[in-house]
Amino acid sequence: MNYTLHILKKIRGHLNPELYLKPIFLLKGNEKHDPLVNNLTDGVIYSLDQVKLVIPVMEQIYLKVADLSFTRSLSFEAQMIDKILNMMYSRDKKELEPIPYFNSGIGYSFPEASINFGYMDEWQVLDILDIAEKEGLFASEYLDRIYLCNNCSGGFLSYREVCPHCASTNASSEDLIHHFPCAFIGPISDFKNEIDNQLNCPKCNKMLRHIGVDYDKPSIIYTCGKCNSKFQDISVRAKCMMCTKDAEVQYLIPRDVKMYRMTKKGETSAQTGYISTSKDIEEFIGTVKLETFKTMIKYEIERLKQTDYNSNIAGIYLKNAGELYSMIGASSQRALLRDLVEIVRRNIRSSDLITFQNVNIVLVSLNEIPTKVADNILKEIINIISRLIKQNFKNFDVDIRYSVHQLNTRLSHELQIQQVTKDFVD
Amino acid sequence: MVEFWDDFFSYLASVGYMKLVRIFWFYFLFEFFRYIFLETLALFSWKFKQRVNRKALQEARKLMWDESPLVSIIVPGKNEGKHIFKLAQSLREQTYKNYELIIIDDGSDDATPEICKNLERNGMITLFLRNDVRGGKASAANLGLRFAKGKYIIHLDADCSYDRDAIENIIIPFYFDQRIGAVGGNVMVRNYKESLCTTLQAIEYTDTISVGRIVTSHLGIYRVISGAFGAFRSDVMQRIGGWDIGPGLDGDITVKIRKLGYKIHFEPLAVCLTSVPNTFRKLIKQRLRWDKSLIRFRLRKHRDVFLPNQSFKLGNFVSFAENVTYNLVLNIFWYGYLFDMIFNYSSQLKYIIIMNFFLYTLNNYFKFILFSPFRERKHAPIHYFLIYIPLMVFYFGYLLRLVRSVAYLSEIFFKASYKDPWNPAKTSRHAKEMGL
Repeated sequence: MNYTLHILKKIRGHLNPELYLKPIFLLKGNEKHDPLVNNLTDGVIYSLDQVKLVIPVMEQIYLKVADLSFTRSLSFEAQMIDKILNMMYSRDKKELEPIPYFNSGIGYSFPEASINFGYMDEWQVLDILDIAEKEGLFASEYLDRIYLCNNCSGGFLSYREVCPHCASTNASSEDLIHHFPCAFIGPISDFKNEIDNQLNCPKCNKMLRHIGVDYDKPSIIYTCGKCNSKFQDISVRAKCMMCTKDAEVQYLIPRDVKMYRMTKKGETSAQTGYISTSKDIEEFIGTVKLETFKTMIKYEIERLKQTDYNSNIAGIYLKNAGELYSMIGASSQRALLRDLVEIVRRNIRSSDLITFQNVNIVLVSLNEIPTKVADNILKEIINIISRLIKQNFKNFDVDIRYSVHQLNTRLSHELQIQQVTKDFVD
Repeated sequence: MVEFWDDFFSYLASVGYMKLVRIFWFYFLFEFFRYIFLETLALFSWKFKQRVNRKALQEARKLMWDESPLVSIIVPGKNEGKHIFKLAQSLREQTYKNYELIIIDDGSDDATPEICKNLERNGMITLFLRNDVRGGKASAANLGLRFAKGKYIIHLDADCSYDRDAIENIIIPFYFDQRIGAVGGNVMVRNYKESLCTTLQAIEYTDTISVGRIVTSHLGIYRVISGAFGAFRSDVMQRIGGWDIGPGLDGDITVKIRKLGYKIHFEPLAVCLTSVPNTFRKLIKQRLRWDKSLIRFRLRKHRDVFLPNQSFKLGNFVSFAENVTYNLVLNIFWYGYLFDMIFNYSSQLKYIIIMNFFLYTLNNYFKFILFSPFRERKHAPIHYFLIYIPLMVFYFGYLLRLVRSVAYLSEIFFKASYKDPWNPAKTSRHAKEMGL
């Protein structure tokens, strides 16, 4: 089952729509599949002979996929929202319902959303869905409230009763006994003797007979086994089993868990491609919009027709960018992209153009230089970017590729840009 | 009216010394002798002793500071949350810092637990203990005592405030004399300007209670450590098992400590300010409760003090005898005196009542002014009280005497203190059965 989930994560967690939207069917054996697997597959077959039975389902999915447009936003949040909308729209799914899930980092899994995140980062799903709700793409219905670690936002918390003074769990409680006739009050151990099971008052030596008549138990008292302090109100602390931080419960982060329903605006956004209004990255300094880039390539091709120059178009592909962005969060993502642009800009001439095709692919124009030189420049850029990411994210293995094409005056600019990106599709 | 006053002065002029003593025999025989003559002598003697012991007292202070023992301040109460923050703050101002503050909530049904838990979290209270079910003040105080770690225990009332050096001053006597088992603080009235009732109580506190306790302490017959401010040796408290069921537990515990052979000391420099009842209705209720304890504890529970058995101690006997004589016996005598006047001087009664008023007023002014130098805060202006002193004749001579009479009768014949809602019925029932 882990393997199934692993494969599923690879496909559904990919940022390329051609991959993550693929219909997936489960070839079911005797094993019981977990709810996440069931939610992210499109059906079950029991033998390969049954493949033909699912063809109508696949056709239906592809029909819906054909309606979709994909976001060109560079914002990680926008990418994620777009993915969720696309997945739901293509599967004709209206509701995104959280399922209580043992393997989730927050205790609940939103299958189409959570699949994009690792165990430690799953809390970001709540932020992303909140943004989508604020944008009017989803309507929500309250279901539950969860508490997350104030250090790592993990939801795997162990609640313990602890000493309020030293936070040790080694505390024991005793009943307090009030002996009415002499007004003595103390823990039950004061009243016990070593001879029999009777309780005797240490002040007046009388035997306690009947609760409510000659004595009562007005409260309890705790004794800490570590610091020996006495207290009546034991503290409750939550230990995060993900980052091991021990926090008082009042400092945990409460988050509402809601069921989301896709709105008409959500459906439309899936069809047109979601562009966030608040969180999107519109343009980095040193880059141009994709449309501008395309126009400039078109003019360059026209110019080349009248000269003997050689110009190139190159693409830089950060294959596992989604994984990286989910790890570092939205603000760090912006900083990383800014650095990336800066590195490219430093290594090309000021007349050359840079644009983002999407959050994974950077396109660069390298005019009036031989393709071999352009290839060397790209190699150098890739080296620098790889080093930068390695230095900053030690536990992350970056998969970065590039492709350089000489501009062909006989082909359209659109086709040549597509050729560059096609190189990156596995 | 003028004619009446002419007759009055003619009568006054005709009364010779012997007849004056005959008419006011109660005053001259008991009150003048005890409250003017003996008290004045005792006060001068006390002042002299203080001067003699000056160095020893300084030594005691030094010893106390050298040791700086942990002091456990226990504050039992019900629905006292509103006072606790101010109390904790006023204690933070104390010159003596090595104390733990233990608040015991005796089944409050207001916000007291929340307030105290918050203060405990913020470190203003060392330990907050709560009985979900009310058990009475004695059990609440005993709960605090059970978990107190200090060498000395100080019992406070939550609605009181304390001079900056009050804690320091109440501990020092333990270092002056090892035989001292408990020390009473000097309780003064904070809200003396609030109403006529509080003003009269303030005069009573400064005159009768404060100065009275200096005298009784000096004579070794001091008998009630106020619950508002009292300090106890922790080992002594363990030996006597803490407080027994009230009302009147303050006097009771003092007697229990005396019976063990320890001295009880009054420390005028350890000043505590309290808010006294602001209406006569509340005052009467309070005094009825206090006065019943004389019968319950002096004549019933601790009657063995009067018996020449093994535990007989002269000091305790004198203390009890003085207390019973001046409160119970003379209270009965006073009614005899009243009958004497009605039957023997019925025609002159109107003049005698006026003479009585002037005599006691003169007595009260004399005492108030003469004893001023012996009081703590002797430099505080006393003029505010002077115009109220004539009213003390009615307050102390009639009102409180009447209240005392009612309290004694209801306790002697009906054991009324066991029905007092001040203490939960479940505990009072047992106290009554056991004669406690």
